[in-house]
Formats: sequence, C-alpha cells, structure tokens
Amino acid sequence: MLLTTIFCLSAFLAVAGALLVTFSKNLIHACVYLLFCLVGVAGLYLTLNAEFLAATQLVVYVGGVVVLLLFAMMLTGGSSLNKVMSRFGLESTPLMGNWRTYLMGGVAAALLIAVLGNVLRNLSMGSSTVTEKSISSVEQIGVKLLTDHILAFEISSVLLLGALVGAAIISRPFRSSESEN
Amino acid sequence: MGIAPYIIVSSILFVCGIVVMIARKNIIGILLGIELILNAAALNFVSFTKFSNSNLDGQVFALFIILVAAAEAAVGLAIVIRFFQIRESIHIDSATQLQS
Amino acid sequence: MEYSLSTILPIVLLPFFAFVLNSFIVKKFTKTAVTISCLAIFVPFIYALRIFIDFVFNKYSADYYIHKTFTWFDLSSGSQIFKVQMGIYLDNMSAVMLLMVTGVAFLIHLFSTYYMHDDPRYGRFFVYLSLFTSAMLGLVLSDNLFSVFIFWELMGFCSYSLIGFYYEKEGAGNASIKAFMTTRVGDVFFLLGIVALWTTIGSVTYVDIYKAIAENSLNSPVFLFGLGIPIATFAGFCIFMGTIGKSAQFPLQVWLPDAMFGPTPCSALIHAATMVAAGVYLSLRMYPLMDAGGLLEAIAYIGGITAFGAATIALVQTDIKAVLAYSTISQLGYMVLGIGVGAYNASLMHLITHAVFKACLFLSAGSVIHSLHDHHTHTAVQEMPRMGGLRKKLPYTFLAMLFCTLAISGVPLFSAFVSKDRILGDALVMATRSSVYLIPAILGLCGAFLTPFYMFRMMFLTFFGEPRDADLFKHAHHETLSFNRNIPLLILAVFTLGFWYSGSLTGQGIGDKVFPDSKYEWFQVLVEKPVLSKFTSRTTTPLDVPERKEFIESSHYDPERGFASEEEEHEVHHIHQMGAIASIIIALSGIFLAYCMYISKKFSPAWWTTTFSRWTAALRNRYYFDHFYVDVLIQKGLLQLNNFLAWIDMGLYDRYAVDGWSKVLTLFYSMSRWFDNIVVDSILVDGTGISVRFFNIVLRTIQNGKIQFYFLVLLLVLAGYVLGFKPVI
Repeated sequence: MLLTTIFCLSAFLAVAGALLVTFSKNLIHACVYLLFCLVGVAGLYLTLNAEFLAATQLVVYVGGVVVLLLFAMMLTGGSSLNKVMSRFGLESTPLMGNWRTYLMGGVAAALLIAVLGNVLRNLSMGSSTVTEKSISSVEQIGVKLLTDHILAFEISSVLLLGALVGAAIISRPFRSSESEN
Repeated sequence: MGIAPYIIVSSILFVCGIVVMIARKNIIGILLGIELILNAAALNFVSFTKFSNSNLDGQVFALFIILVAAAEAAVGLAIVIRFFQIRESIHIDSATQLQS
Repeated sequence: MEYSLSTILPIVLLPFFAFVLNSFIVKKFTKTAVTISCLAIFVPFIYALRIFIDFVFNKYSADYYIHKTFTWFDLSSGSQIFKVQMGIYLDNMSAVMLLMVTGVAFLIHLFSTYYMHDDPRYGRFFVYLSLFTSAMLGLVLSDNLFSVFIFWELMGFCSYSLIGFYYEKEGAGNASIKAFMTTRVGDVFFLLGIVALWTTIGSVTYVDIYKAIAENSLNSPVFLFGLGIPIATFAGFCIFMGTIGKSAQFPLQVWLPDAMFGPTPCSALIHAATMVAAGVYLSLRMYPLMDAGGLLEAIAYIGGITAFGAATIALVQTDIKAVLAYSTISQLGYMVLGIGVGAYNASLMHLITHAVFKACLFLSAGSVIHSLHDHHTHTAVQEMPRMGGLRKKLPYTFLAMLFCTLAISGVPLFSAFVSKDRILGDALVMATRSSVYLIPAILGLCGAFLTPFYMFRMMFLTFFGEPRDADLFKHAHHETLSFNRNIPLLILAVFTLGFWYSGSLTGQGIGDKVFPDSKYEWFQVLVEKPVLSKFTSRTTTPLDVPERKEFIESSHYDPERGFASEEEEHEVHHIHQMGAIASIIIALSGIFLAYCMYISKKFSPAWWTTTFSRWTAALRNRYYFDHFYVDVLIQKGLLQLNNFLAWIDMGLYDRYAVDGWSKVLTLFYSMSRWFDNIVVDSILVDGTGISVRFFNIVLRTIQNGKIQFYFLVLLLVLAGYVLGFKPVI
C-alpha cells in the first residue's frame, strides 16, 4: 500500500505540476510548478525501483536545470517581459500566450490524445508480469554504464564538456568583436 | 499496479509539454515544455524497463536523457541570453531570421 | 594558216586593251595614248589581213567556218541545263568584214590625228574610238547573238558618247540622247528575239540557229494577242527590228542625221565602218531565219522605202554632213533591199564598198570643214551655200571626194556600180517573178536616179563655181599633202575603184568581162547564203586548240550555179543586163541634171522649190518624222500615257492603296493596342505580378520562420500519418 500511496502522491504532483506549467500566467510561477512536476516524476521513479535515477533527477533537474532556468529568466529582462511588442509592432502579445495560441495548443493536444489513444488502446490495465526483484539497481547501473554503455558514457562526457564550452562562448558579451572593430 | 498508470501519467506530461511548446511565446517557456516532454520520455523508459524486461537498460537511457537535458538547458539558455543581447527580446516570433 | 587563240583574239583585244590603258593615261600622256590607239588598230589590221589572204587565196569553200567555243558560265543543276557559251565564228564573211573594219578604222584613226589635233579633248576621242572599234570587231567575231548583243550595246554607248562629244555645243546632248533612245527601241526588240530563240532552241549560236532552221524546229507558233505566229517569224521580226534601229531604216531613221553633231571622223566611223554596218551584218547572219520566217518581202519594202525616201530628203539638205548622212541611210536601204530580194552576196558587197567610199566621203567632208573657219563666230562652217570653188584650195580632197562621188553614183568602173547594180538587178529579177517586189524595185531605181543628183549637187556646190562667201574662202588654208590628212583619203579613194571587187564591169559575170578567167570574181566565190543542211553536223573546237585546215579545192566560181534551167538562166542574165544598162543611163542622167542645175544654170533650183513648196517643206522637215515622233507620239501619246500612269500611281495607288493601307494599319493598330493593353499588359504582365504576389503571400505565410508553426505542421502531419495509415506498432 505504501507503494500505491507514493505513486498516487507523486503522480498527482507530476500531473498537477505539468498542468500548472501549462496554464500558468507567470513564467517564474511556471518554473516553480515545473519543479513540483519534476519532483513528482522523481517520486514515480522511486516506485519503479529506480532510486538512483530518482536521486539524479532531483540533483540534476531540481538542483541544476531549474535554477539555471530561473537565472536565465532573471538575466533576460524580468519585468520587461510584458512590454515586448509583436514583430509588426501592432499589438503587445503577452509572452505567456493568448487564447489563440492556446486554441492551437488545444488542437494539437486533441490530435495527440487521439494518436496516443489510438496507440495505447490495447494497453492492459492490469499488471501482467510484475517481477519484483529488489536488487541493488545503483550497483547494476554502474556496472552497465562502464561495460555495455561505456561508449555512450564517454561520448556524453564529451557532450557535456562541449555544452559547457559552447554555452560559455555563446553567451559571451560583444566586447571582443567590438573591440576588434 | 500495472504499467498503465505510468503510461497515462507520462502521456499527460507529454501532452502538457506539447501544449506549452505551442502556446507559449516565450523562449524560456518553450524550454520548460521541452523539459516536460523529456521527462515524459524518460518516465516511459523507466516504466517499460520495470514491467517488460528488467535489465536496467531503460534506466541507463533515462540517465542519458537527464544528461542531455542538462546540456540542452545549458546551451539553450546561453543562446537565449545571447539572443536577448542582440534583439532585446525573447519573443519566439522575433527569431524568424537566420541572419540579423 | 593556223587559227588559234593568239592569231584571232588580238584583233578584238588589242583595241580593247588600248581603251583600258588609255583611259588611265590619256590625261597626262595624250600623245602616247594616241600612238597606242593607232598601233592597237594597225596591228589587228595586219592580223585581219593575214586571215583575209588565207581565206581568199587558199580558197576555202564558201561554207567553211571555224567555230571555237568556251563556256562562259555554267549554271546547270541536275537535268536543268543552263549553259552560256561564248566563242569565235570565223568564216569568209567575217574575214571580209574584219579586213574592212580594221582597215577603215585605221585610216579614220590616222585622219583623226589630223582632224582632232587642236581639240582640247583630243585624247579622249581616241579612247572612245578604240572602244568603238573593239566592240565592232568583237561583234564581227562573235558566234552567238548574245555576245553580238553585248557588243551591239557597247557600240550604242560609244555612239552616244561620240555624238555628244561636243557636249557644250547646243543640240549635241539631245542628239546623243536621241540616237541612244531611238536605237534602244530596236534593241529591245532584238533582245526579245534573242530570248525567243533561246527559249526555243536553248542556244543562240549561229550554228545552232541554222541547225534548228534546217530541222524545221522553229515552226511552232507563239501566241501573241491571240494570234499564232511561227517562232521563226517572231524572232526574225524582232531581230530585224534591231537592224532597223541600228542601221537607221525607215521608221527609226531619225537618229542618224543628228549623229553629225559628233566630230566628223566619228561620223565616218559610225556611218561607214561600224555602227550601221553592224545592223546589216546581223541581218545577213540571220538571213536564213528571216527567210524561214517569210519576212523577206517586208524587208525589201522597208529597204526600198528607206532608199528612196532618204534620197529625196538628201535633195534639199544644205549641210554637207547632212547630205552624207541621208545618203548613208539611202545606201543602207539598198543593202536591206538586197537582203529582201535575196541578193545576199551583193548586199554584203555593197556593205563593203559603201564602207570604203562613205568613210572617204566623210573624211573629205571633215577636211573641207576643217579648212573653212569662220573668224566671226569661231566655228567651222558646214553649210554648202557658203562654200563653192574650193577645188583650187583643196585639190587632194577634191580628188578623193570626186572618186567617191562617182562611186556612190554608180558610174561604171567604180565600186558601187558593181554592188548596187547587182542588188538592183536581183530586185528586177524578183519583180519579174512576183509582182510583190515591183514596188521595192521601182523605188530602188528611183533612188538610183536621185543618188547621183544629190551627190553631184553637193560636189558642185562645194568645189565648183565661184566662192559664195569670199571672206571665208580667203581665209581657207591651202591644202598641202600630209600623211594624216590626205593620204587616208587617197588610199580610200583608190579602193573605190571597181576592179578591186570584181573582174567584170557589172560583177555579174555577164557582158564585158575584163578578165575571162572567172577566178577574179573572188567576192562572189567567197560568200554565199548559208547552206543550212551542212550545219546539222556541227564542228566545234575548244578555243585553245589550234586548227589547221588543208587546202580545199571545192570552190570554183560557177556563174550557172543555182539556176534550174538554161532558159531561166538566160532570162536572168538578160534582166541583169537590162538593169545594168538602165542604171548607167539613170546615173548619167542624174549627173547631167545636177550639172544643168548647178553649173550651167539651165534650170533654176529655186523654181523647183517654189513650185513644189509643200513637198520641199516636207523634205526640209524630213517628212515630219521628228515632228511626228516628238509631237504626236511623245507629246500626245506617251505623255498622256505617262499622265494616266501618274494618275494611277498617285490618284489610285497612293490614295487608296497606300493611304487606305494606313487606315487598315490604324485599325490594326488600335486592335493590337487593345490586345496589348488588355491581354498582354493586364492579364499576362500584371497577371504574372499578381499571381506572384498571391503565391508570395501564400508561401510567405507558410515559410514564416516561426518555429512553433513548423512544429504544429509537423505534428499535424505526424498525426495524420498515424491516424490515416494505422502503421503497425
């Protein structure tokens, strides 16, 4: 029952967070709701016997990505968000979307729901083969990462390095090129 | 307790991510939607590796997804900041040209 | 003698090269140019003499000929043959003509060095003379009508230039234009005849024409205005029209008297050796064609009318050159009459003898004119009423002119007696056979009476009696013997004697034969009517292959040849004898009449002119031919026609066709403007722009650079794919 309770709680947390992210009018708020959502997903990972993954989710996402997003929001203007004019300068569009964009989003959602429903129609609601093997997943993941997926692991480390350097170069200010001129 | 609830949750997350990506006009808001979609995918991997086979490959994939998401967030936000420096805007529709 | 390129062609080419060369150097080196011209006619004279001696003394048969051809241009393609051949046709007649032309032309050149010496355009005259002579020689040597026509026109141009030589003199320009335009009438017909023969036979060489006549292939009719005329008649008529124009026969004789506006030596050249002889020569060459076409009666009539009419006009002329001009027309009439009555040989003979004595007469007249210089008007005097008594001042000229006058009058022992009386005798023979020839024969005899009269009138008025213009006479220079003034005259005068042409007095092989051996009748042996049947197998050699002919002993003089029976022969001889006696009487009576009128003054010419004043006026006005041509034909006819054509041109064509066309064009213009504005501009041009703009809007909407839009489309496509095709998952 504990598992069910944790699942219910964390599923509620994830779904509610996602919906609030969707319909929130404030970006900061949306970011915080995303935080809830990610925590909910981490809880779902726990119920799936993926404790390491849940921990990583919390550390990386909640501790890294969301903070990064918040920093980015603050760096890109904050209060001036609502003043941005449209490209043609005719009306100021709230950056969080208006009814028209949400209509389009709704259409897309309806389509996706139809597609997903079409795909998942025969999904068995009951648990078919539940193999409760409470093994230490962390150790096994570590072994797998450094044996089967060693190439992907190394490549991902290069990717991270590239992302680090790239981000630093891209967000670098104009000064160097201007000084050259 | 089967796989279905997990799939449903991940579907909801996915649809929400799509809606955010379409409905928002803010680049950072769109990045939020992308995070949602990535999480939905990762959740799928983990739940299928629990209920279909238990060799933990799905969890490894989920790890890589988190990793890629972090890298994407870093580079994407760097681009957003750079874009804002040039255009004084983070409106998605002001980014319609490849060359300023 | 060997006949090749180098022995025949220089005859034509030397004068021509002299013309080309002199036309460049004549301004600077006048004396050199004159020398070149004279040499360039003397050397061909030597060549012609060689050929003539060869033909006469080697006694080639009368129908022997040398025919050398070369292809001028060849436009044949496939089965269509269009090939123009030029060539040289040399037979006895050509040889005689060559000798006559070169000899007379050389003497005229020589005389011109005296006559034209003080002229400012001394050298230019010789340039023209060279071209003129060259053209005539080329015409004589031509083997086809086409090259004859070319040289014919070349001579027309030269006569135009020479008649208008003193272009500053009033009337000279008009006279040259008149000569050119009048002969042009004949030339057009001539060209038409050439074309008719060309289209029928496919060739215009003499040999081919003779061959076609022999094969009777010229009898197919051509249709003119609905009348079917045999092609031989049509072509013969057209070619004879060329003769009429060039030899100044009856309807077109008006140009020749005006030709005396040119320098006197050129008159001699035109009237004697070249221009007018060319027409008769052509008719002689085409005699078989005219015979086949049945035109001989008409030719005889035209010859008779010309001979008599021109002689009557000559009676009243006062200009010494005009008298000679009309006598030329009259004598040409005799030649044409000879052609008409079938006196082929006699006609050619008269052509030769006439060329000699008429050249001499004109040169003598030139000598007379040159010696008389009016010091008041600074012009040479040509009017006979102002002359008289010049015998003492110009003895050599008088001698030469007397010989020629006796010759033209038909006095026995002189050349024209031989030739003219043969023509008249043949005319009388024809008149006894057919009454159609009666009128030409009578006209010829009347002309024979008038000829000595007007010629001796000229002689008496010029050389005898008292000087009528004492001042002029006093200033006339006394003549001294000089090589270029008197020698040519005397040489020509020597050749007016009859024995050069015939051993007998009459040249008819009857009566008083000076030489019983008939071989001295060389002229009759030399030329005879072309025997057509011999041309059916033609012999043609290329131009550059020398030809050597062996001695031919096939030609003997046979006076009985050509007569059917002894009785007929006797009759013909009888008529010829009668004609000869009659013409002696006529000539002497004409001379006597002139003597009575102008020396002994038994009859006064004034009585005649007052009694027959209307006739005299008609004669003075040359039978009103000029009046008729200018006032009636040109003023009434041609000008009306011109006005009518101008009205058609301006009133109809310009007004309706041209201006009406502008209306049509305006309509078309407005239509096409509408089309341009509506269809092209509005629909096509603007429509293109509009459609581009439309698709621009559509495509710009799609390709808007908005990521979200792309994403949405992507989703829609994906969803549509999944929902529509239900892929296996």
